[in-house]
Amino acid sequence: MRLRLLYISVLLLAVIGCHKPYYISQHSSRHYTVGKDGKADSSYTRFLATYKLRMDSTMQIVIGYTDTNLTKAQPECTLGNFVADAMLQAAKKRNNNVVAAICNYGGMRIPYINAGNITVGRMYELMPFDNALTIIEVPGKTLVQWCNHMAAMKGWPMSGISYLLQDGAAEDIHVNQQLIDENKTYLIATNDYLATGGDKCSFLTPLKATPVNLFIREILIDYVKALRKDNKPLHPYIEKRIRYAE
Amino acid sequence: MLNRRSFLKKTSIGAGLLAAGSFPLESFAGGKEKKLTILHTNDVHSRLDPFPNDGGKLAGLGGVAARAALISQIRGECDNVLLLDAGDMLQGTPYFNMYKGEPEIKAMSMMGYDACTMGNHDFDAGIDGFARLLPFAKFPVLVANYDFTNTPLEHKTASYTIIKKGGLKIGIFGLGIELEGLVSGAAFGNTKYNNPIPVAKAISEKLKRDEKCDMVICLSHLGYEYETNKISDKTIAKETKYIDVIIGGHTHTFLDSPVIQRNAGGGETLINQVGWGGVRLGRLDYVFRSGKNPELHRSHSVNINKETSG
Repeated sequence: MRLRLLYISVLLLAVIGCHKPYYISQHSSRHYTVGKDGKADSSYTRFLATYKLRMDSTMQIVIGYTDTNLTKAQPECTLGNFVADAMLQAAKKRNNNVVAAICNYGGMRIPYINAGNITVGRMYELMPFDNALTIIEVPGKTLVQWCNHMAAMKGWPMSGISYLLQDGAAEDIHVNQQLIDENKTYLIATNDYLATGGDKCSFLTPLKATPVNLFIREILIDYVKALRKDNKPLHPYIEKRIRYAE
Repeated sequence: MLNRRSFLKKTSIGAGLLAAGSFPLESFAGGKEKKLTILHTNDVHSRLDPFPNDGGKLAGLGGVAARAALISQIRGECDNVLLLDAGDMLQGTPYFNMYKGEPEIKAMSMMGYDACTMGNHDFDAGIDGFARLLPFAKFPVLVANYDFTNTPLEHKTASYTIIKKGGLKIGIFGLGIELEGLVSGAAFGNTKYNNPIPVAKAISEKLKRDEKCDMVICLSHLGYEYETNKISDKTIAKETKYIDVIIGGHTHTFLDSPVIQRNAGGGETLINQVGWGGVRLGRLDYVFRSGKNPELHRSHSVNINKETSG
């Protein structure tokens, strides 16, 4: 009897000492929509309060308003037209020969801004990255390549350019309302992320680029503020910059 | 079932219970079964507050206070809970512009995250910026395919970790996306990206076969799936043999239920991803049985519960 107990304890020790294997016999899954039940842990609200107070004092400032729901969609959208138009306007102020502006769809980081007041914070959410405006000299041939790249990516925000989206390629490209000339060089405003090859734009890296020391986000804020100064709402609309083949 | 019956026949305890007319099979098997609950997030993008109440689709959803309440409720109901994040914790709200990630990482430590991996946007304050946040992280940062030699992150992250929970041994490793063309060179510095496929093969095999983990989890920021041949979670699942679950991110994919992919070993690898912004918390419940996996159990029984409210 004693011996048996000893055996058992030795066996137990051996079991504890090394890992006893297990295998998956069943699994199930579900997911929760966070905040749907209205429950919140107030210790986190308290933890955030000090950060939030300082943040809100700058971010909650209203800079203007939009009379249109701004939405992010492809191939063309109101949110994208707003961003590209603001970029083109800012670039033209520095160099009037800039003809168009292009930015990447993924660079816009919120799906919508509802009609109503626009705050500084909303602009930070839309364009949180510290990307700066850059003006690049783009040969017509490369611009065709860029438009095809945008078409393959289902359409990016742009201002001053229009094209027909057909089978993932850009046809009938117009720049500044004129048919593109492959032998011409165009001055295009974009962000430094794309100009340095981001979002698979490596074909842009060899081009001559002039950086403008201005964040895209600041450009958007200034654009909305300027409209308010003129008592105008932000009012971008879809104007078929990108058309589907009929 | 067959094994259990023959075992019962052979033991006097089993015979005694049978004779007594009661047959507490479930409780008897209790010692042989273990449960694990995996909770997960991805691409929270600095969303510390809920989405604003602007009438939009996501209005009022998300936020750390609500997420923490949900997590503690689940921890109260389940014994073995793992809490994991698949990267892009940072960037997307003014919190990040102003505080460079400190409140995000501190809140995750408060919630008791067990591990995370790095997303491309976690480089947005520069590699040194991320390194400065690590003292606030009470959980390991796992990335197996980034070589951080000669960067501020050298020796500060790990390829994998092994967590022991209630007698289960869980191996967790991380995979990061190609940085070139996605993150500015100035931000990622000397970080070297290695192809995640051979890395995933080697580490998952090590965790399952050498370390004898009962389960292997991959935290991936590669993205769920692409139309091109870009490496994704689907690729990793198809090319490897020993990964049980891939908790994914990057593509902001709202999978209503996990996707089961037949892996290179003929077994199943489960892939899940819960969108972005912390509006969803994913939950995977596992039941383990002791012993070696019989071939029969290759095809796991799946019970998908699509309930979405907390």
